[in-house]
Amino acid sequence: MNPALWISKTGVQAQDAKLQAIANNLANVNTVGFKRDRVVFEDLFYQIERQPGTQNDDNTVSPSGVQLGNGTRLVGTQKVFTTGNLQTTGQAMDVAIVGIGFLQVQQPDGEIAYTRAGQLQVDADGRLVNAQGLPLVPEITVPANATSVTIGENGVVSVTLGGAAEPSELGQLTLASFVNAAGLLAVGDNLYRETAASGAPTEGNPGEDVFGRLKQGALEGSNVQVVEEMVDMIAAQRTYEMNTKVLSAADNMMQYLAQAVR
Amino acid sequence: MDALIYTVMSGAERALRAQQVHANNLANLETGGFRADLELATSAAVTGDGYDTRHLAALQANAVSSAQGAVRQTGRELDVAIVGDGYFAVEWAGGEAYTRAGAFALDADGMLTVNGRPVLGDGGPIVLPPFARVAIGNDGTISIQPPDGEEMQPIDRLRLVRADAASLTKNEAGLVVARDGVELPADETVVVKSGHLEGSNVSAVGEMVATMALNREFEIQMKLYRSADAMADAGNRLVRG
Repeated sequence: MNPALWISKTGVQAQDAKLQAIANNLANVNTVGFKRDRVVFEDLFYQIERQPGTQNDDNTVSPSGVQLGNGTRLVGTQKVFTTGNLQTTGQAMDVAIVGIGFLQVQQPDGEIAYTRAGQLQVDADGRLVNAQGLPLVPEITVPANATSVTIGENGVVSVTLGGAAEPSELGQLTLASFVNAAGLLAVGDNLYRETAASGAPTEGNPGEDVFGRLKQGALEGSNVQVVEEMVDMIAAQRTYEMNTKVLSAADNMMQYLAQAVR
Repeated sequence: MDALIYTVMSGAERALRAQQVHANNLANLETGGFRADLELATSAAVTGDGYDTRHLAALQANAVSSAQGAVRQTGRELDVAIVGDGYFAVEWAGGEAYTRAGAFALDADGMLTVNGRPVLGDGGPIVLPPFARVAIGNDGTISIQPPDGEEMQPIDRLRLVRADAASLTKNEAGLVVARDGVELPADETVVVKSGHLEGSNVSAVGEMVATMALNREFEIQMKLYRSADAMADAGNRLVRG
């Protein structure tokens, strides 16, 4: 059959995947700590029918050959870790990470997951947990008689206990960083898991080494740029359309051929 | 048998295969750094008995378009677009090949890669030590801010090459290589722009028009097919009486 059919199919399929990523990005415009996905394409392998430079006879070599492409391929999606907009919320339990680093939470299966979403809460046992109720690592417990909680830029959590004049220190929040953050596995719920591609996490205190500082009373918004996504969407839709046009052109050619032979 | 039908066949075959080239270009309309393939046809005269009217079409498809793709801003430090002519060097099958795709990523060891292939610097693959910040200068110099320092330190430089479009071709992986197979020398005048990405240089309108034209060309060839068939049929009827 006409190979152009299958080549256009790869183009249509690729745009389909792209549209899915765009839809997900747009759906998460208001998700705290969300990082947008970017779809990366690559041209498929080429079919070399005649290598340029083959010997025609003793004295001449052919200056050109025939190489036919086979379409496009989705290499993968890349999480883009640019910083999202910082929103000041004034909530004592909201923290934004200004710079590199992830907060660490413990999942029910005991595995550590990483997140940029800093909407912290205190659960029934007084533990600091994230929005889904997963406890932070290292664990910090806020006493019941605490009147106010302060999270310093360096990650030190301190509280003022009822009646005490001096604040008392509860513990230290730490951050984790990765050589290749884009290689983390996004598992939903604003969480990421370590993979072979991301490398092992390095742990450290906020504000030290590569780690960003913590800002209490602020949240990092999603880094999705609405206008960019919309432009991408139009481009994806039109590319899809053009590929289907080639699909029908290839089909027409087959039809002419079928009609020509009796 | 009349030779017309074979001449028609070569035209139809060429249209069919040229369609493949355009389909591939359109499928890669959104592939970062993709260079469009140019489809060319030459005529090959068939010598021998009869009038000198038989020129078969032969497809030549291995020229790479050197037009600039649309560059757009992404803000990501490891997105690099080449301004004007030039290519990045990547490791491929033990040697090197060239690409315009500049959406670099780091692997678990800090090695700079593009689409999974190591990006080459002055001294082979580029490996970045842990950093707080990374920047790529206009000449391809990669600088990092070490975790415990304030100052940016240059650590390597992208290997950038430039060559005449006519001397380049694509290999089976879709990467650009020199026609004669030799490695291209580094060119200091290639300018890159960090935080930007180049799209594909496929002209959607051009490809669409070419697709439509080929479609109709094929249709005409089919009409000729039928004429050849009708002529042969008329001859057969004459013989039958």
